[in-house]
Amino acid sequence: MVNELKELMRQNVAAPPPDDLDLSALVGLGRRRVRRRRTAVVGGVAAVVAVVVAGTVVSWPQDSARTGLADRPPAPDAPTIGLADADRAVEGRDYRVVASHTNDDLDSDNGQYLDGVTDDGLVLFRDGPRADQLYPRMALVDPATEEKDWLPDLDIGQAQTWPVQLGVDRLVLIGADSPSDDVPDPGDGPRLVLSAFVFDRATRQWSTVTWPSLPDVRDPHAVVGPDDRLYVFVPAKTGKPPAGGWPTGPDGEADDADAEGSTYHLWSVSLTDGSDARDEGMTVGDLAFTDSSMVWTDSSNGAAGLVHVRDLATGAEHSFDPHAGEKCNLLSFGATDDRVVLSQYCGTYAAGVRDDRVQILTTAGDQVVTIQDSGIDGSVGYLGGRDLVTLSAYGPDGAGTYVYDLGTNQFLQVSDAMSSWSSGGPTPDGMFFSNTPVNSRHGSTQTLGELLR
Amino acid sequence: MGRDPAADADFTEFAAASRARLRSTAYLLCGDWERASDHVQEGLIKVYVAWPRLLRQGGELAYARKAVVSAFLDASRRRSSTERPSAEHPDRASSEDIASDVADRTALMAALARLPGRQRACVVLRYFEELDVRETAAALGCSEGTVKSQTSRALASLRAMFEDASRDELVVAGERNLPW
Repeated sequence: MVNELKELMRQNVAAPPPDDLDLSALVGLGRRRVRRRRTAVVGGVAAVVAVVVAGTVVSWPQDSARTGLADRPPAPDAPTIGLADADRAVEGRDYRVVASHTNDDLDSDNGQYLDGVTDDGLVLFRDGPRADQLYPRMALVDPATEEKDWLPDLDIGQAQTWPVQLGVDRLVLIGADSPSDDVPDPGDGPRLVLSAFVFDRATRQWSTVTWPSLPDVRDPHAVVGPDDRLYVFVPAKTGKPPAGGWPTGPDGEADDADAEGSTYHLWSVSLTDGSDARDEGMTVGDLAFTDSSMVWTDSSNGAAGLVHVRDLATGAEHSFDPHAGEKCNLLSFGATDDRVVLSQYCGTYAAGVRDDRVQILTTAGDQVVTIQDSGIDGSVGYLGGRDLVTLSAYGPDGAGTYVYDLGTNQFLQVSDAMSSWSSGGPTPDGMFFSNTPVNSRHGSTQTLGELLR
Repeated sequence: MGRDPAADADFTEFAAASRARLRSTAYLLCGDWERASDHVQEGLIKVYVAWPRLLRQGGELAYARKAVVSAFLDASRRRSSTERPSAEHPDRASSEDIASDVADRTALMAALARLPGRQRACVVLRYFEELDVRETAAALGCSEGTVKSQTSRALASLRAMFEDASRDELVVAGERNLPW
């Protein structure tokens, strides 16, 4: 009799039943997933370049400074980890640096940025607008040679753009401008007219698409769907502060946790035909596409409500309660083929400790893990690939960029400081951006990394 | 853009070569050959998606193993949240059954089945796949300390289960013979 566990295991698998795995069918499934993954790039306000991150963040108390249960953030209804559970990534072992760029003094002037990576691995480089480059210009850079292929002038002045799809065949940027009419803003946010700028990489020509029948939007947030249409969020209902204003938190600041969420009418528009815009007849909070599903919440920027999942092949839908905390506001949303990610702010507690969470669930609604800490926010598809959650941590303990690999559940800290400026864009899977301070925090180094798996 | 046919051929060759080993690992994790095949399929699809990058960087098998373990852990999570507990688990042997069967392979699977998913994964990866602590941590996406503690707990549980069996023939319980 064999007495060792190893041998028993080997014996247990020595005579397996026949394996009927069809490899050609497997390749077909893989192709389908690649196609969907590449066409479902998310764009959003978090992709705004050079966002100044304001505010001081206090870290979690490491001792018994917490006084009483009411003074400490509640535990999420899920397996929970914190920044301290991340492994420190080692360059060369865990990741490689693909490209980096430093702006020495962003306090004095705007600079140059890495705005994302195409599906074939070229970096979208943007120069300006700045004092010596009043009108921004863009290039595709091969990180291997650092050679820049300058794109034709987009000819939109100093208007800001956000990449939402960086494909092999085309680049899609969106922009949002004030309407030319004199109708005043409705009072709960600016009125903006959305445009798309599509660069055909074969003909090297830009085309601009606007949709006269598309209602105004409030921010440049749109999602490219698997059908290559752009899904747009038209304001429906804006969450309001409670009567009497926000309560004062333990840190003396107004605390807008537990806010009423906002909702949007979902529209979709063609990226080639300005006359093709349609109301999808749905009200959503936030939306993402997985490889096989469309996933959305009831509301956002407040309580998320339920998460809904629609199978794109069959149209079958199911919904689930994500069991977010009672006071949690949904700030950012994303999904992969089998994961849903909700980044939330859930209140401020004694000593200014914030209850920030990045909640990760399966598309069936099962809790995978919640990353809970003070001063963190997470995103999917804004600062890296859609198979990663890229976390920015601003607290004095554990500051830096972290990545959580949704495929392997690996949690890594990839930098140990956070710049005051955050920039990035969509990338292929496995890549991420980090932004670290330089020059006494006047400037920033933007690094594009790729996980070594 | 379609994939390069040569890359597809490389992937197919890799999948053909690795699937038996991956399926064995998945079976030891889940105790069911059919579900093991499902986990391998899901893992290999993830490998396909990552294939161009893996070709550049290497580590295809490690990534595939990681993806299969991840598929198993996902499925465990789904099962634990959707299955209703019952007094007698139909797939698991009672203590008495364990005592009578522990000397054979069925008992090993029953004992493994009693471990939480991550502990089971630690045992399978460490002692079947023969990964070291660092490699196991990489496969599970956790720290090396977590692997050590999970493995230690798993082995303690297994040891207790085996030691509960008192018959002479249950020599598998002989502590000096065990690999831990």
